[in-house]
Amino acid sequence: MSIRCALVDDEDLARQVLREYLRSDADVEIVAECANGFDAVKAVAEHHPDLLFLDVQMPKLDGFEVLELVGDQVAVVFVTAYDQYAMKAFDAAAVDYLLKPFDLDRFRTALERVRRRLGERSPKPNSAELKTAAQPPGQHPRRIVVKDGTRVHIIPIGQLDYAEAQDDYVALHSGGKSYLKQQTISSLQATLDPARFVRVHRSYIVNLDRVAKIEPYTKDTRIAVLADGAQIPVTRAGYLRLKELMESG
Amino acid sequence: MHPVFRTKNGFLFYLAPWAPVGVMLALMITAAGRMRFAESVAIAVPATFALACICLAPWYVCRALPLRTTPGWKIWTYQIVGAMWATTLVMLIAYAAAVGLNRIIPATSVHFHSVAPVLAGMVDLIYLLAIALYYVIIAIDSSRQAELLSRESELKALKAQVNPHFLFNSLNSISALTTTDPAKAREMCVRLSDFLRASLRLGERAGIPFGEELALTRSYLDVEQVRFGSRLRISQDFDPVCAAVEVPPLLVQPLVENAIKHGIATLTEGGEIAIVSKRLRDRMSIMIENPFDPEAPAIRRNGFGLASVRKRLQARYGQAARLDVHVEQNRYRAVLSVPCESAEEVEEA
Repeated sequence: MSIRCALVDDEDLARQVLREYLRSDADVEIVAECANGFDAVKAVAEHHPDLLFLDVQMPKLDGFEVLELVGDQVAVVFVTAYDQYAMKAFDAAAVDYLLKPFDLDRFRTALERVRRRLGERSPKPNSAELKTAAQPPGQHPRRIVVKDGTRVHIIPIGQLDYAEAQDDYVALHSGGKSYLKQQTISSLQATLDPARFVRVHRSYIVNLDRVAKIEPYTKDTRIAVLADGAQIPVTRAGYLRLKELMESG
Repeated sequence: MHPVFRTKNGFLFYLAPWAPVGVMLALMITAAGRMRFAESVAIAVPATFALACICLAPWYVCRALPLRTTPGWKIWTYQIVGAMWATTLVMLIAYAAAVGLNRIIPATSVHFHSVAPVLAGMVDLIYLLAIALYYVIIAIDSSRQAELLSRESELKALKAQVNPHFLFNSLNSISALTTTDPAKAREMCVRLSDFLRASLRLGERAGIPFGEELALTRSYLDVEQVRFGSRLRISQDFDPVCAAVEVPPLLVQPLVENAIKHGIATLTEGGEIAIVSKRLRDRMSIMIENPFDPEAPAIRRNGFGLASVRKRLQARYGQAARLDVHVEQNRYRAVLSVPCESAEEVEEA
């Protein structure tokens, strides 16, 4: 079985090692080489490779963010100088990871694993959920990445106004625009800082800083009006959580 | 823990030197009180043993009143009151021994009165000597502790200054070059070794001439240059009068490392790191400026960098040195300002 792969590393010399090791495998074809995370996401959309060799620290998007965006479409082997806790957590999402520098034997082992994984056609894990699981406790992301075709949007966490559940997706609203991301609202909530974002409704999370006023709606429900005029339903439990946070802040 | 009880037979070793003290006291009592030696011994032995036990106590007083931080009057008051109590106690025991002896040999106590002032003076003196000795032990202890701590922090600094990611990425570059460009691979091995050797050697020293620090930084940049290629550009403006100024080692290199990690590495096209050092009368300023991507993904820090530089500055100069950081849009600037100190006096310009 032939494998189509893309090399993603911002260092030319690091890609060179991969190129050299791959030369001995006639059935592995390099379809793209990328020097940053944006290009990697683009290359996946354009060339549909089976496999990514992915560095972690890169300009634009880091390796984890790339995995989050395209991990369900392609097998990933991390190639990195890191051997920290995060790598262990990502063990499940990535097929393998190579610690720089590595030799040809170790590289072959990784390719073997990839072949087996690609042969299995097992259901791909949802990488957004895996990212939630891998997040160190007490830490929250500074930004959210969303893929839109070949384009990638980056939403700094402070600019997220509110999020709305839509089946298997969440709609992230920021500055009057809306971005769809494949993630459940509960797993999104788990990554966010609970001091800044409140689950006010089964289907809504709101950024506390954006709430302008809260108006009564029915006997048990209210409406939160955001700074930009957007209206969000608030349940009784949601209102209590909101009130508690606003009073403590 | 009390020094006497630190070892298994410590108390026995502690008692040993009290034997001659007892003999001395007995001789003194004999001379001053016109008593027979055997009688004197009967008084001196319990008194000396009591004194030996009481002299264990001031260790705790000395520890509670460290010389450096306690005002002098407080130390004197507490220790003299302590000495008076100790002397009174020993004298009471000696007196009790004399009274006991008096039952057997009448008129001994009469002689005791004449001996009392001398005995009290001696006991007081011995007690004060014990206090002095304890302060010496405390000083030795704390200097040993400080030595241990400084060695530990040295080791930590050594570990931190050679960033493992830098090392592994460099080795990976060498691995890439071995087949395509063996000459360059060898050159990089040499450059990497230069940097490691210099940082190990210089890291041990308290101060180095700024020129050497700059050379160390340069050897670090040489290695990174191979990794980043044309993405990394350096401009250096170095005032030669700065070369002799003494600075703590690894003051500039961590800042340049930050400039690469948080700056150049976040940019697809890379950028230029500017290093400018200037001398202004009795101060030297070093500026390191680099572009960065404000929207770059959060970098998984390993805690070294600014904090360590600040600690080094604080340790050497106290409040006299500064490290300021300015962020303007996509430019990051770190400015160090240190007072000029040099091995040989730098003549004023």
